[in-house]
Amino acid sequence: MTRTTLRTAVAAVALVAAAPAAMAQELVIGLRAGPDSIDPHWSTLGSQAEALRHIFDTLVDVDENLQLQPGLAVSWEPVDETTWDFKLREGVKFHDGSDFTAEDAKFSIERIPDVTGPMSMTLYTKYVDSVEVIDDYTLRVHTKGIAPALPNDFTRLFVVPSETGMEAGNEEFNAGEKAIGTGPYEFVSWQPKGDLVLERFDGYWGEQPEWERVVRKEIPDDAARVAALRSGQVDLINYVPASDYLAMQNDSDIETFVSDSVYILNIAPSVKDEEPQPITIDGEPVDGNPLQDLRVRKALDLAINRDVLVDVVLEGLGTPATQLMPEGFFGYTDELGKREYDIEQAKELLAEAGYPDGFEIDFTCTNNRVPGDAVVCEALAQMWSRLGLDVNAQALNGTVFFPAAAREEYTMTMSAWGTLTGEAAYTYGALTHSKDAEKGFGNFNRTGYSSPEFDKVFGEGTQTLDAEARRELYEQASFIAMDDRALIPTVILQTVWAADADTLDFQPRVDQETRAYAIEPAGE
Amino acid sequence: MLGYLVRRLAQAVAVVFAMSVIVFVGVYAIGNPIDVMIDPGATQEIRAKLIEQYGLDQPLWQQYFVFLANVAEGDLGTSMVYNIPVVDLVFSRLPATVELVLVSVTIAGVVGIPAGLYAGYRPDSIGAKAIMALSVLGFSVPTFWIGMLLIMAFAVNLGWLPSGGRGDVGEVLGLHTSLATADGWSHVIMPAINLSLFKMGLLIRLTRAGMVEAMSTDYVKFARAQGLPDRQIVFRHILRNISIPIVTVFGLELGSTLAFAVVTESVFNWPGVGKLIIDSILQLDRPVMVSYLIMVVILFVLINLTVDLIYARLDPRVRLKGGA
Repeated sequence: MTRTTLRTAVAAVALVAAAPAAMAQELVIGLRAGPDSIDPHWSTLGSQAEALRHIFDTLVDVDENLQLQPGLAVSWEPVDETTWDFKLREGVKFHDGSDFTAEDAKFSIERIPDVTGPMSMTLYTKYVDSVEVIDDYTLRVHTKGIAPALPNDFTRLFVVPSETGMEAGNEEFNAGEKAIGTGPYEFVSWQPKGDLVLERFDGYWGEQPEWERVVRKEIPDDAARVAALRSGQVDLINYVPASDYLAMQNDSDIETFVSDSVYILNIAPSVKDEEPQPITIDGEPVDGNPLQDLRVRKALDLAINRDVLVDVVLEGLGTPATQLMPEGFFGYTDELGKREYDIEQAKELLAEAGYPDGFEIDFTCTNNRVPGDAVVCEALAQMWSRLGLDVNAQALNGTVFFPAAAREEYTMTMSAWGTLTGEAAYTYGALTHSKDAEKGFGNFNRTGYSSPEFDKVFGEGTQTLDAEARRELYEQASFIAMDDRALIPTVILQTVWAADADTLDFQPRVDQETRAYAIEPAGE
Repeated sequence: MLGYLVRRLAQAVAVVFAMSVIVFVGVYAIGNPIDVMIDPGATQEIRAKLIEQYGLDQPLWQQYFVFLANVAEGDLGTSMVYNIPVVDLVFSRLPATVELVLVSVTIAGVVGIPAGLYAGYRPDSIGAKAIMALSVLGFSVPTFWIGMLLIMAFAVNLGWLPSGGRGDVGEVLGLHTSLATADGWSHVIMPAINLSLFKMGLLIRLTRAGMVEAMSTDYVKFARAQGLPDRQIVFRHILRNISIPIVTVFGLELGSTLAFAVVTESVFNWPGVGKLIIDSILQLDRPVMVSYLIMVVILFVLINLTVDLIYARLDPRVRLKGGA
């Protein structure tokens, strides 16, 4: 507190009028990214959902570990194989005073295909065949095929009033005219890449948030965001860079909050018959693709010292990964222990596979997508060189990396993947299932990995409505994919928030969202 | 004069064409914008539908001609990321950049030109040497680093100025600008100084070089012999004679700062167009890239035209004929 007082005093005597000190009931947050629009059906972007959650509610909510919680729907259950019923919350008001009913939920689902942009939200309605209003507080959803993950999809289903009309788009929402939800905060103003200003909604159905007014400032530059916190312009910042995190550890004025994220850096070895970039020995291409040999993939895995990656390379801001998602997620298996580091065994496996002297391989990563991707990339190349491999590591901007990865031009890559829905189907359906356009699986499977066993177990899971039976099948699928080294997980990244010491109570979330209404002043 | 203008305009159109082709081919070579933007959970079906919706399945030349046809109708396109017309998007950010750049070039001019005149007028004095040493720092030390030092000193340690962002916006003569409020000035002053340092260094050196050269010319000697006061010689005669290179550099710098003040804008979190264009490049938001660069080309052409007109005013020997 003394620092704030001193700062206020200095500001008062300064020749140039400084910004007025933040009022007690106001929370100013400095964020790396903000929304692209105020229309909640425009984009699937994480920072978009995070911001708009203050204004709009979703049918289903998630807790800090991404497990399902009641939202505007208080309960849900399958009626038969292709029908789900959602019981809706009663007594919920929109910011304009009108009542929330099943008509609004139906309208919101049907509005998405009409208004959504390039980050298409149809992703969350892809299983919806039709929607039926049973009564004011019961919504019936008919699905295309069996859709056990429908409630997970509806965690991003923001509800707008049915009076919004199909014609209203980004313009009307950005201007505030249509920015009417049932959320804890009302929309005041927003500029692209600028500040989102919110005011508390007194008629909110849930617990009243602590702050009357919330300003979410978008400050993409890491150094600028830290400076804004240190100069008292903002009360809380997200995505503190690793270098500043270290300095903050020795600074009693600043408090940090650390949490595992959903993002894991995974290595993707191409197991196609012919690798896209040739693997060579003494400049001569090797016969066949060595990465097809499970022993080679196991050797790559064993040669990774994950403790060094976390402690040295990431300065402590990570957790060794055992599989493609963090503990506690739906489908995480306890059967897999810590992934071992054993360079001798790795060398043996490589020799057994017929490469006692290693080979030369290209390895391509992103360099700006998540904190630490480029340094982990370099470190992995060094670890594999101890195995006798000659690794040409290249860290590229995501703008270049992703389109080329989509064209499957790389032999081995590393990039971050987040299980954003908190359950396995999202990740396995996209990454490790064989490519199958008809079922909509394997869209991000760039390695050519195709295991009939995995497809069968996972496929069965996606057709199982009973949650416990499904969980078991997904756990089995996790085991198969990891045993095959379909992908090789390295580290779970962590994210850091920072605030002035002893000012805020804040529970960090695995999805990295900064929810103003879940933050309280310290000591209350 | 008219022929000159027409020719200038034709040049501008040619440059705009060339540039738009380069951006189209460039983005096409990098890849499909949908692959950068799309959500990881999307299915093939969704992806294919989006590519069709944005016309990205068409051959490149066809996409380009659709773009040209739209431009001919005055439609520069709509941002794929924001779904806002590009013109609106750029103009919502432009005032912030313009005010930052105007304050910074004013500081550079008001400080740099007199300092350069003095350094050239008394080249051996201690003051002149100090000015020259500082001017070297001005354009050799990286902008972002000075920016961070300024923030650490004035925002974090002293707490006098805000660390970033744009202040309250007021209204003056119908214009909405943060320069109309005290809070606005407290926000703009630090980034403006930061942005002005390079230009200031450049102006000091240019002015000094011109001054030193002019001091030894005959007309100055004659003026002195005539008994004219130094003040009159410097400001009335020398300054006018050495203005042409200064105006040229000033114009170019004004243009490039307006278009690409991105480093300072990032460090100070200034909501200008520089940040917008960098983000658009990272997301391959092609409509914004193409249209913004077109606007930049037009801006440069206009500034150069103005500079040429000023030449003619400064030096009666310059005639605006057909040549460039």
